[in-house]
This record gives sequence, C-alpha cells and structure tokens, in this order.
Amino acid sequence: MSTGSPRRRWLVGMAFLLPNIAGFCAFTLVPLALAVAMAFSDWDILRHNVFRHEPLAFVGLDNFSRLLRDPQFWQYLGNTLFMMLGLPFAIAGSLASALLLTRVNRRRLPASGWVLGVATLVFVGAALVLLAGGMAPGGVGWMFGGLALGVFVLGVATGGTAYRTLFYLPHFTAGVATFVLWKKLYDPHNGPVNAALGPVLDGAASAVRHTPFLFGEVLPVAAGIGAVVLTAWQLRRLRRRWHEGEIGGLAVTLGSGVPAAAVGAWCHWQRGWNAFAWPAAVAVLASIAAATMVRRRPWRAAHVSTGVATEFALAMLLGPVLVLLVAALALGPALPAAATAGFAAPNWLGDYGWAKPALMMMALWAAIGSNNMILYLAGLSNIPPELYEAAEMDGATAQQRFWHITWPQLAPITFFVSVMGIIYGLQGGFEMARAMTLGGPAGSTTTLSYYVFVQAFEAGRLGYAAAVSWIMFLLVFVMSLVNFRLGNRDAND
Amino acid sequence: MRTTDETLTKPLESLPARVRHWSGGMGLHGVMTVLSLAMILPFAWMVLTSLKTLAEAADPAWLPHTAQWGNYPEVFRVIPFLRFAANSLVVAGWVTLLQVFTSALAAYSFARLDWPGRDRVFFIYLGTMMLPGLVMLIPNYEIMVKLGLVDSYLGLVLPAAFSAFGTFLLRQFMLGIPRALDEAAEIDGASKWQIFWTVIMPLSRPGLVTLAIFTLMGNYHSFFWPLVMMRTVDKYTLPVGLLFFDSEHGQATHLLMAAVTMSVVPLIVLFVLLQRQFIRGIQIGAVKG
Repeated sequence: MSTGSPRRRWLVGMAFLLPNIAGFCAFTLVPLALAVAMAFSDWDILRHNVFRHEPLAFVGLDNFSRLLRDPQFWQYLGNTLFMMLGLPFAIAGSLASALLLTRVNRRRLPASGWVLGVATLVFVGAALVLLAGGMAPGGVGWMFGGLALGVFVLGVATGGTAYRTLFYLPHFTAGVATFVLWKKLYDPHNGPVNAALGPVLDGAASAVRHTPFLFGEVLPVAAGIGAVVLTAWQLRRLRRRWHEGEIGGLAVTLGSGVPAAAVGAWCHWQRGWNAFAWPAAVAVLASIAAATMVRRRPWRAAHVSTGVATEFALAMLLGPVLVLLVAALALGPALPAAATAGFAAPNWLGDYGWAKPALMMMALWAAIGSNNMILYLAGLSNIPPELYEAAEMDGATAQQRFWHITWPQLAPITFFVSVMGIIYGLQGGFEMARAMTLGGPAGSTTTLSYYVFVQAFEAGRLGYAAAVSWIMFLLVFVMSLVNFRLGNRDAND
Repeated sequence: MRTTDETLTKPLESLPARVRHWSGGMGLHGVMTVLSLAMILPFAWMVLTSLKTLAEAADPAWLPHTAQWGNYPEVFRVIPFLRFAANSLVVAGWVTLLQVFTSALAAYSFARLDWPGRDRVFFIYLGTMMLPGLVMLIPNYEIMVKLGLVDSYLGLVLPAAFSAFGTFLLRQFMLGIPRALDEAAEIDGASKWQIFWTVIMPLSRPGLVTLAIFTLMGNYHSFFWPLVMMRTVDKYTLPVGLLFFDSEHGQATHLLMAAVTMSVVPLIVLFVLLQRQFIRGIQIGAVKG
C-alpha cells in the first residue's frame, strides 16, 4: 500500500486528516493547554473583566492548596462518591433484567403482525374512549388494565422484544425533560410519589404502633445478625477462593475492604455513630495488610477478569446491603417513638438527607434498562450452551449454575460496566443538579461537575474551577488505568 | 429427556401440546408486563397530567376529568417551543453531519494510509478520549468569547463537530474492511480520494449510521454547552428551553408536562424505529474499552 516518498505519503495522509485535526487542535489541544495554564493562574472575573485588566499572574499550586483546604470541595467530592453507591444496584438490576429477558419465550406468535396491530388498536381505542367520555375515578383501573393487556400481548407477539424496548426507554429519554418530569413526581404536596406513599406509611406506622417490640427490638437484632452472617459468608467465600488459588490479594482486599469502607462511610455520615467508623477503617487497612503480607498467593491471580472483576462487583453490591442492615440496627430502636406521630412522607428534593437518595432512585430508574443491560444480553447469548448442559448433567441447581457459569462468564462485562459506571459517575450529576435542585438543599446534591460549573460560570473563578476539573481528571485517569491494567485485554484490541 | 420427547413427538404434536408449550412462559410474560409497566409509569403520569386543567394538576387522581387537548397549543403560546425544537434539530443535525464527515476522513487516514508519524498522532487522539469534557469546557468558553461566537449557533456546532471518539469508532470499523478491495481499486488506477469515497465509505455504512445516531442523540440531549453559550431565549435548544419554561412557569404543571411530552415522544418513536442500529452501536462502542 505504501506508494510514493515518505514526504508525499505524509502529505496525502495529512490531507485526509486536515479537517479533523484542525478542529481537534482548536477545540481540544489548545483548550487543554489553556486548562493547564488556567489551573495555575489567578484567573478570576473580579480581577480580569471588561472593566479591569490586571495582568494574569501565575500562582503556582495556590489553587490546588486552596482546594485542599476548601471544606465545600470535600463535601462535594463526598456527594459525588455517595451518589455512586447506587451504581451496584443499577448493575445488579441490569443483570437481573437481562436474565429475565433471555428467559422469555423467544417464540413469536405466528401472525405476530396481526396480533400486534389488533393489540395496538384495542389499546388506542380504549384510551380514546376513556379520554373522550369523561373519566370516572374507576377509569384508572380500566386504563392500567388496558395498558397491561396491551403490553402483555405485544410482549408475547414480539417474543419479548417489546419488554426490552420498554425497559430501555427511561435510559434513552433521560435528560432535562425527564428530570423536569421527576421534579414534579417528587413534589411533596401534589406529586404522585408521596400520594402513593401516604397510605403505605400510615400502614407502616400503625404496624409499628401495634407491635413496637417487633420493630424496636427484633428488627435491629435481626439486622445485626444479618450483617454478621453476611460478613462471615463473604469472608469465608474469600478464604475458600484464596485457598483454591482462584483469586489473588487484590481481590481479597477489594472483597473485604469495599464493604467495610461503605459501612465506615455511613457511620461517619451519621453523626453520633462516628466512633464506629474507626473499626471499619481498621478493617479496611487490615484487609489490605493481610492480603499484602501473607503472600502465599500472587497479588493478581492468573484469571484476572474472573477474579478481581467478580470480587469487585460483588463487593460493590455487598457494601450498600451491609449499610442498609447497619442502618436498621442503628435506627430501629427509635422507630416506635417516631411512629406515635405517624410517619411523614419525605420532602424529597427539599430535604437535606433525602435529596441525594431521591436523585439516586431516579438515576436507578434510568440505569436499569440501560446500555449495561444490552451488554449483559449480548454476553448471555455468548455463553456456550454446552456449559449449562454439562452442569445440568452433573445435577447442578439453578443457583449453582448461576454462580459457577453465568456470573464468571459475565465477569469481563461486569468489570467493564463497573469501571465505566465509576468513570461516568465521577463526572456526573450536573444535569440533575441544575434541572432539579440547583445543587441544594445546602449543597447536598452538588457534585464535582456542578461545583466546576458554579465556580466557573456563576462565581467567575475560572482558575479555581480549572483546578477542580483537573482533580476530577485525576480520579478518572486512575479508574482508566485500572480498566487498562486489569480489564480483559482481548476486549480492548 | 425433554428434548428427546419433543423431537419424537414433533411431527405429531397435538394442538393442546402446542398450546401448553406456548403458554409455558406465560407466567414470565406476566412478570415482565408488570415490570415494564413500572418502568413506563412516570411516562403515563406525564401524558395524563398534560391533559389536565391547572386545578386538576394539583389533584392526586391520575385521570383528568376531560382531556384538555388544548394544553398542547397553549404551550406554543407560552414559550417558543417549536423554535427550541428547531434549534435543537438544526444544531444536532449540523454537528452530526460535520462530525461524521470529518471523522470518516480522519479514520480513513489512520486506518488505510501509511504515513510517517501516523501512530503517534493517533495515540494523542486516543489519549484525549480519557479527558473529561469538563476540563476543556472552561477554556473552550473563553475561546468562544475571544472569537465572538458566544450566543451563536456556530459556537454551538463548532466544538462538537470534531470528535476523537468518532474517529476511533470509524477507524476500528474501517480496519475490518478487507484490504484486497482497496488494493484492487488502486490497481485500476483509482486515487486515494476515489478509494475513500467509492469503496470505503459505502462499506462503512453501518459504522457511519451508528456514529450518526449516537451523535444526533447526544446532541439533542446536550445541555451544559448550550446552557453556558446561549443568551437569547429564541436561540435556546430544547433542554435549555425546557429549563427556562420550568423556571418561568413551573407552577403550570399541566403545560410543563405537555412540553415534556412533546420533547420525549419523538425520542420514543425514534428509538422504536432505530432500535436495531442503536443496539448494535452500543455493542461496538463498548469494545473500545
């Protein structure tokens, strides 16, 4: 293929590249250099604007040292990390929906086109009749009945594809429009979320009032036992896999350290439980130390993708579950006293403590049927059926088949999806914060990206904002390195 | 065991057996129906609320008394909704056109031409893909200020028109096209441009379509950049416009939901139509790692 002199070949190659590389230089490389310069400068709208032209000064690491002493920066970094606790639930949800979707009978109905058409007609007709002819309160039942029937028939007719489409819609449409929608859903007075929650909470309050013993004492104890059992189960699993040489030290550290860190973070966040954060921190350090010093096995096992990735994903899932159990243990005893006044539905986006979970639940809605689900679907269809047949022959239960075939076979996808989720999570939260909460209340939903926006475009501290964005880059870079070093090499080429 | 039974009885399969086989998964279909409904519940509320009166919108009941179709034309009176939508489409369309074209040219250069320093340049491209967009955003804004492009469509289109990711995606795609094809064309005396335009481009169509759909979608949703760039209300893109509507007339829940419905429904239709291309694109995109 190589014809002509190097000079000529360079000219031809560059000619094709030119339109792209010109834009690439102008809008990527030059801004990049500028961003570096800005981060070390005192560029501030107060000093450099239309009316004042103080020369830009380079201030060395001033922006960064200010950043380290800025309590808001640490709070917002914490918010960003906290929001990512929803990630494992999203991934587990994607995996579960992919598993369900592959199980659906793929047989389409013979005359699926007809059925599809008739179902749509019936549905649209019913909706029109309802909409036109004045709606009694009972109309809701009819509407959902009709909707369910329509979805069911469509699902059967398309061999399950309709479900995939409907699952994917929240992710596909996610943007300012759906955020505005959710802002209305979460409205504390007129929103449907609290309207639906009201009777549920009343029921729960009366249940607690009737059996205070069950909720005040049995629940915390059960949660405590649950937490201990779960921890023991995980540690035993790690030990067994370690002995069998399936995983190395890194996986052991992640498997025990990540849940401990999650519990520690929660204890720290819940004022008054701060003292319990220390044991968790010790547990994290101990797991690292143990895994490093007892080097009977290599740090990384031979099958990196099935070792580290699996343990990482499982640990990410265990962490929040443990946090929930510890929360039940901690907050349970106060339940009976709280129930006497009845439980009030939360003021979702207006409450310091609830704003973050509210955004996380909304993000979960959009993340379950996302690209991750599509990747899992592809991964599931790539698992050789012989593996299942052999397992069935050996009499493996469904649970064993999942843990010994499906889960390890999907491990590279789980790893990829987790790392990408973290990378996007570190940069995320801007649109939600801007459209729904403006970062509040009291900064509880301000993430790093929203902080950069506020500092740069509202406060005009461009130099400082650039420094924050570089910290964000640093975090993303570390995760990209993790992905590069530990990820499935075959998939990268 | 079951498979043998099935093969033996297949030709003689009776009607009841067929019905039984077919209905075997009905329970699962039921579960999936319920889950799917849960997923689209917010959309159902959105549509129903958009058909309410202002007074009804404050009511917990889901259904309006009589459907207020007039809410939709009302939206056009309150905000320049069509203008916002047109702005979004025009900007996203230009970005897509330019990005696909410049990326294809660059991808051809990286995948097919052999020139000194090629791999080093490509490595720089790859490296910048790791950078969060936010890092470049602040200086890019300053550049736009210097160029006088703030509050102009050109300022929205230009920075998005060149993409390292698009170049990478198409390069990977072009690497999969057999070399023998361009060699044959070269022997026939075709120029590099002719090879690119008549051999490589038609064969890259699935990749081009994928990149186009992704770029179009991404820019239709794009929010940060238009938010900082646009000053005149008439030049807002749809997401910025919706936010503007929310801050100006947020209490008019019924109208707001009509506007949200009108910006979400086209997306839903588009997805249902382009599903297959889209899902293939996700799988190609994931391989990049």
